[in-house]
Amino acid sequence: MEVNDALLDHLRRVAALPDLAGTRYELEAEIGRGGMGVVYAARDRELNRRVALKVLDSTLAGEAQLIARLEHPAIVPIYETGTLPDGRAFYAMKLVAGARLDHYLTAAPSLGERLRVIRRAGEALAFAHTRGVIHRDLKPQNVMVGEFGEVYVMDWGVEAVAGTPAFRAPEARLDRRSDIYALGALLQFMLPSPAPPALRAIAAKAMRADPDARYADVPALLADLERFQEGLTVEAWAEPLGHRLRRFASRNAVLLWLLAAYAGAKFFLFFLRNL
Amino acid sequence: MNKILVGLICGLILGALDGATAWAYPETHSVIGGILMGSSIKGMLVGLLSGWFARRVQSTKWGIVLGAALGLLFAFLVALMQHEHYLEIMLPGFITGAIIGFLTQRMGSPVPERVRR
Amino acid sequence: MGGSHGQFPSTQLSLLEAASSGAGLPNEALERVSALYWKPVYRFIRVKFRKNNEDAKDLTQSFFAAASERDFFARFDPAKASFRTYLRMAVERFAASQHAAQNRQKRGGGVEFEPLDEQRAATAESPEQVFEREWQRQLFALALDDLRAHCEASGKLVQFEIFEAYDLATGDRPSYADLAARHGVAETSVTNYLAWARRMLRQFVTERLRGVTAGERDLRDETRRLWK
Repeated sequence: MEVNDALLDHLRRVAALPDLAGTRYELEAEIGRGGMGVVYAARDRELNRRVALKVLDSTLAGEAQLIARLEHPAIVPIYETGTLPDGRAFYAMKLVAGARLDHYLTAAPSLGERLRVIRRAGEALAFAHTRGVIHRDLKPQNVMVGEFGEVYVMDWGVEAVAGTPAFRAPEARLDRRSDIYALGALLQFMLPSPAPPALRAIAAKAMRADPDARYADVPALLADLERFQEGLTVEAWAEPLGHRLRRFASRNAVLLWLLAAYAGAKFFLFFLRNL
Repeated sequence: MNKILVGLICGLILGALDGATAWAYPETHSVIGGILMGSSIKGMLVGLLSGWFARRVQSTKWGIVLGAALGLLFAFLVALMQHEHYLEIMLPGFITGAIIGFLTQRMGSPVPERVRR
Repeated sequence: MGGSHGQFPSTQLSLLEAASSGAGLPNEALERVSALYWKPVYRFIRVKFRKNNEDAKDLTQSFFAAASERDFFARFDPAKASFRTYLRMAVERFAASQHAAQNRQKRGGGVEFEPLDEQRAATAESPEQVFEREWQRQLFALALDDLRAHCEASGKLVQFEIFEAYDLATGDRPSYADLAARHGVAETSVTNYLAWARRMLRQFVTERLRGVTAGERDLRDETRRLWK
């Protein structure tokens, strides 16, 4: 039978659609492709709510079970895992309404907001690490910011599939430290064009080619970020003296002014005396 | 370290330093000992009261204001006893008090209030 | 150039498994490979080497004859590339060496230039893209044949007719209601039949793919690529 181009495309599309007969879900539309599967919007008939259904290419469902055990405000909650009639594994999760990081940036958020997003993502990562889960494919497309500013990290535990090499660590075996690399790359991605050198240094430290030269763990990176935001010394950056003094002065402005006032008063009185 | 203790120590040190600047005026050399002691006690009083205040009220601004006011008051009393050098005593005393007030707000830990029945 | 029909997607052996017997590929496996790859190779040769219809057919035929030798499949290393890529590169090498041999015969090497397939020239697709597209096309064509044969063998004629009327329609698609009326079934049945047929099609595609890939990894990669 002759299959022209249009027919081929149509068949490719429809044969890939998940058959949800026998499940409680009603297919609505495809909303994206990520990791090892396609994500659809669907409606849960029993609970009458919209969910996101991720249908995996292969029959491996291990990922979902791992993730389902992670309960964290920044990790998308998984409602159910199952198998489609055609053998493909799927899982139903919260449908996040929001923007992926690359789109989020088009709204030109402030530096403080950008850092907040990085911190939330980092907290999720740190939490997962304590539970033995490594993300392996952290990148802007896998981080979403909801309408109320809540941050979600998605597509866990999937090895990066020839996707975005910019966020993938150079080493062959991916572990926690590769996640740290990716977090640094994410930070770098989020930085505005004239970026504070301290932040660039933090990102650079996280992205060193040698995994041992990076931050030891995610909380260490977050701590350095926090130090930056409080005007303290950042570990990753060897600050020139001028910068350091200016920072010190701005943090201790009140005290310095009071001391200046005292000195000024003393000198004033001295000259007054000797007039 | 609680704030009252912070106040006492800062007041002692800063008061002593403030008193020591009197050395710039040669006529005080003979009585510098008494000046030092007086300034130290003045500073400790300001520190004590500022520290007590800082335990109850967390406000850098009002801490400075109170410290400055107390510093001015005690300096005035001391100047009154001398019947002279009002400006030379009160102006530095005012600023020193402000610094003491600032430090008691910023440093030390406030011990939580006991629950009143 | 059909392969074996009428079988429920029996789990086909992967290429690697079929070749493991050591005596080259069994005929059945060879047949599967050529059933799928004949047209793609033919088109590839036409576009890349600008051969006319006759020459391209000859070249394709000789390529498959040469490939049926034991060595060809044994030399395939799944770690390096997909089988599809390996085969395409083998075609290039084969055609290039034939080309060179021909030129030597012609003394002075005037190669005949035939006008390119105009459609392809217009869309400016690379020969590699043409190859992959034809491969996908042929994969689905064979899977559709499998599906038709399966439905005929198991008496599911209505299902196939509805599927054919809807998914294989060339012009406007009929509505579910129309189909329901035409075949005397409920509309929900139409939905179910279509879902069933599409699922079966997917399975047939997977099985055809399994027969021309070397193991799970290759199959997974090719599957992902196919459904993108």
